[in-house]
Amino acid sequence: MNILFIEDDAIETMKFKRTLAKLNVKHKITEAKNGEEALEVLGSGDQLPDIILLDLNMPRMSGIEFLKILKADEHYKYLPTIMLTTSQNRADLLECYRIGIAGYILKPLKYEEYEEKLIKVVHYWEASELVKA
Amino acid sequence: MEQKYSSTSSKMDSKEVQMLKRALERQKLARQQAEKILEEKSKELYDMTRHLKAANNKLEGLLNKKQTDLSDSFMDIIDPYVILDLDYNVITMNDSAIKFLGVDHRKESINVGTMVHYDYVNYTLEAFGSLKKIGILRNYQAKIVLKDKVQKFIQINASLIYDAEQNPIGIHGVMRDISREMEIKELLDEQRRELNIIVDNSPLGIALTVEGKIIKANPTFSQLLGYTENELINVTPKDITTCYDEEECNEFVETHNQSGQDNISVTKEYIRKDGSTFFAKTNINAVRDQKGEIKFQVVVIEDITLEKELQKQKEQLLVDLEASNKNLQEYAHIVSHDLKSPLRSISALASWIKEDYHDKIDEAGQEQLSLLQEKVASMDKLIQGILEYSTANSSQLLSSEVDLNEVIDTIKETIFIPDHVNVTVPDPLPTIVGDKTKMQQLFQNIIGNAVVHIEREVGLVQVLFKDTKEFYHFTVEDNGVGIPKEYHEKIFKIFQSIGNKERSTGIGLSIVKKIVDRYEGDVWVDSEVGEGTQFHFTLKKSVLTNENIES
Repeated sequence: MNILFIEDDAIETMKFKRTLAKLNVKHKITEAKNGEEALEVLGSGDQLPDIILLDLNMPRMSGIEFLKILKADEHYKYLPTIMLTTSQNRADLLECYRIGIAGYILKPLKYEEYEEKLIKVVHYWEASELVKA
Repeated sequence: MEQKYSSTSSKMDSKEVQMLKRALERQKLARQQAEKILEEKSKELYDMTRHLKAANNKLEGLLNKKQTDLSDSFMDIIDPYVILDLDYNVITMNDSAIKFLGVDHRKESINVGTMVHYDYVNYTLEAFGSLKKIGILRNYQAKIVLKDKVQKFIQINASLIYDAEQNPIGIHGVMRDISREMEIKELLDEQRRELNIIVDNSPLGIALTVEGKIIKANPTFSQLLGYTENELINVTPKDITTCYDEEECNEFVETHNQSGQDNISVTKEYIRKDGSTFFAKTNINAVRDQKGEIKFQVVVIEDITLEKELQKQKEQLLVDLEASNKNLQEYAHIVSHDLKSPLRSISALASWIKEDYHDKIDEAGQEQLSLLQEKVASMDKLIQGILEYSTANSSQLLSSEVDLNEVIDTIKETIFIPDHVNVTVPDPLPTIVGDKTKMQQLFQNIIGNAVVHIEREVGLVQVLFKDTKEFYHFTVEDNGVGIPKEYHEKIFKIFQSIGNKERSTGIGLSIVKKIVDRYEGDVWVDSEVGEGTQFHFTLKKSVLTNENIES
């Protein structure tokens, strides 16, 4: 799969890459440090990602702002977008589902639990039919 | 607060208006009486004058002869009648005069000049001087002092008597006792003074209007509008009020006329002479004549700028408070996120060191890394607790029907319950209207607290329910270690953990307290050390049902 991973925290990115490295199937991960960078990646003319994993709390453009731009775009709006967050703010959760997301993942404290959860997410999307834009 | 203010204020209004009304009523009555008397008397006077003129001619001769016996009907008139020489000595007078003055000219000589009250001497000299010049004196009014010191107010109409050569030889006049009238007049004056004192010193602006024109205004009214009373007479309602609608006004007058409703209260904006404006509560009372037509209107205004401002401030404060509450919650979430994220990183890094370097780190090192992770875990829990605590009394409660049995089932699935402990609900719990999340937090924190403090082989936690008139009363009973009496209150304060369990943050029960407070209930503990603990809490039904049900 082609995964766009948007995250400003380097260790979070390490956690995600370490998790995926344990899988047998290799996935292509494109990293973006924030929303602007992610939009650049999407607009570069390269093939669009199959799924987007997005941190909710980012500096400058927040996850929700980025999500709004995504869902307002004719092409990008089909991309399944999964939120990653430590925030249990119900208002955020409702807002995200209202705009349109494919998942809302609370990051557990323990890395082992994080790994377990994220592997499930990746497996789910492996099993799912993708848009292949 | 507003409600309270306006009710006392209007009470004051009506009280003052009542007082003014009564004063007006008294004045009116007295005036009517006085007018009636005056009317009657002036008719008598008119007749009298005619008599006097007719008698004049006859009198001339009589005087010359100093004849005291006036066999004319003139002497029989009801009012006191006196004939004087030019030095004011009584020549003769009728029985009525003898009776009224209390002296008899046949027994003693009388000079009426001596009877005049000191205060009226100058005026009398002037009046009679003029009489001698022009021959007639009308409406002379003075106080006289009678023999027994009784003072009377009299009115005299008099004229000169001439001889055949047209030389004045005497004065004759009719006297009238006007003491009663003067009393009434004084009373009227007194009442007018009293009324003026009230009106002039009233903190309310009072004006009298006829067909929208101000004909009289008290100082407060003038001050409020910044005009002098004279200037006010020339202003139209349009000059001094905004949003003044002529149609509305006409309509108002009409309904006034038709319905006979004579009192109207409105809040209007007024314009001062300098152009500034203020709001005033306005009370308009119609005063009708005998035909029922509106004669004039009494307008009473009370400046309520201050109240309006306070009201505005209050509204602004509420808006601010709501915004700040919302901000605070947002803030709590952001802070908790920013604190939680690094903890996740630390925890992950510790895991990786353990995993990646397990062959390089000895058992003690591994142990230390585990301790590090435990500390990180308890810190994470603390942050979560603070977040929950800070949002526990959020002003926005999302109310819906909540089946508490379901809530307990969810809790049993969510929280850690040691194998030896059993959580049961002996009798079904009610379904109530409330905020589901808050209800869950409430029960979860109490049950969560109970299940971890049981050291017996078989632990039992029961959720019990009692319906009292005003409250739902819940009890969570356990057979755990119990809580010493000295801690029964302390445990509900934030960060006051009394357990020796590592996992305790000291926040859970303070969240319980906060939620119970929000529902105007109570929370307390019955406990026997070694026997068990009963956690009681109540939720006020009226508060629960008053929350809007989320649509």
